[in-house]
Amino acid sequence: MNVRTRLFAALFLFSSAAFAAESGYTIKATDLKDKPYIDAVTIVTLPEKTQIEIVTRQGGWMHVRAPDKQQGWVRLLSVRLGNPDKRAKSGGNLLSAIGIGSRPRPTTTATVTTGVRGFSEEDLAKAAPNAAELEKMKGYAVTVADAQQAALQGDLEARQIGYFDADGKTMKEK
Amino acid sequence: MGQTRHVVLSIMLAAAVLAGCSKQQADAFMRNINESGGLKQTFANLREPTQAEEIRIGDGVAETLLGARPLLDDPDLQHYVNAIGVWVAQQSERPDLPWHFGVNDSDHINAFAAPGGHIIVTKGMMRQLRNEAELAGVLGHEVAHVTQKHHLKALRKSALANLLSASAAAATAESRHAELVQKLAGPTRELYARGLDKRDEFEADRMGVVLSARAGYDPYGLPAVLTTLASADPKDNFLTLLTKTHPPPQARLDSLAPGLATLDGIKAPQNPTRFQQYTRKLRVASRKSGLQIGYLFPS
Repeated sequence: MNVRTRLFAALFLFSSAAFAAESGYTIKATDLKDKPYIDAVTIVTLPEKTQIEIVTRQGGWMHVRAPDKQQGWVRLLSVRLGNPDKRAKSGGNLLSAIGIGSRPRPTTTATVTTGVRGFSEEDLAKAAPNAAELEKMKGYAVTVADAQQAALQGDLEARQIGYFDADGKTMKEK
Repeated sequence: MGQTRHVVLSIMLAAAVLAGCSKQQADAFMRNINESGGLKQTFANLREPTQAEEIRIGDGVAETLLGARPLLDDPDLQHYVNAIGVWVAQQSERPDLPWHFGVNDSDHINAFAAPGGHIIVTKGMMRQLRNEAELAGVLGHEVAHVTQKHHLKALRKSALANLLSASAAAATAESRHAELVQKLAGPTRELYARGLDKRDEFEADRMGVVLSARAGYDPYGLPAVLTTLASADPKDNFLTLLTKTHPPPQARLDSLAPGLATLDGIKAPQNPTRFQQYTRKLRVASRKSGLQIGYLFPS
């Protein structure tokens, strides 16, 4: 039981999380379901580009509020974040096009390019090997036992699932 | 002309022998050159690097990637990402590699894998993630690049990298290692700016989803990240390298859809609370500097 383990344990007890409301829109006509299942009852079919507010996410589903206050579940793969008519033009910064759903865009975004720490093609082109940083990275290593402990405290249970191919068919083990 | 060709081939044969090839390998090498004329192909076929060599090559690649941008000074976050990464990597076919994970101090949104098990995620990417399932999905994608040796194979295809495995075999002394790292720096910069074959990226997506699901997470972590990316302007300054080196997020989501459908029944944790605890400093720092980033940050 090292410090790290105790830290994981402490955090596990911490149970509530504050979420920012996200908004998005449907990228195609999509059924609003009363439960997060394919065969659940369809409340209404939302047309393409319906603006929605995302309440929670569960697996491949989002619990959303539609414009007429109807609530239900839509497929995650049918939703894009932000506003369909307000996608930022090129040259934007920090994903300014997204995450702006229910939140105003800060006035500072246009000026943040100074002091930005990049990993651009140019930064890469100038990169000289840094052996000390690699040693530092190795110094942060955790043992498999530490990782298993973190998994246990995160309620994670290993499952046996086969890889799938591009058609979604389960493959023989690699 | 014939004379020149002969001299060049003789030098190459001598180099191959000096580089530690057996007589048989060297002979096969010459036969290949004479029969196919495909120099790159010949080098690529010369010898599969051993795991020890793969790890040494990976060290060299990682040194250059870390040379582009150093690690973020946040030990708690670094340990946390390692714990999640090692747990995901344990679900792969190569759990025994010396896996190392790191968050670098870059505002750009990206993640990188180096051969042998070094994985770097940018601070900018961390800010875009909502929960641990999304982190596990990103790490799973990178772990798959390592287990499938995508970068190693790509490096071996470049003619310069050809004698790398021979150098890696000899790189026991410190000076030899430095020499290997120097030889690798150019091909590394070139490969990570150019990116992998698109098929490798699609494969890493499919395997990454499964690895995170095997690790006990909601399998939709990686698709959720791709949805975030698909919602952004691909020309956003902080996405330029990722956009250049990967298929469009929508194509990646489309390619995942058939496989994801088979995992729909899985109900599993996303662990947002723990993730937000460990990334809290990132959010505080970005708010202080006036950056607007990601979904986790209420206005």
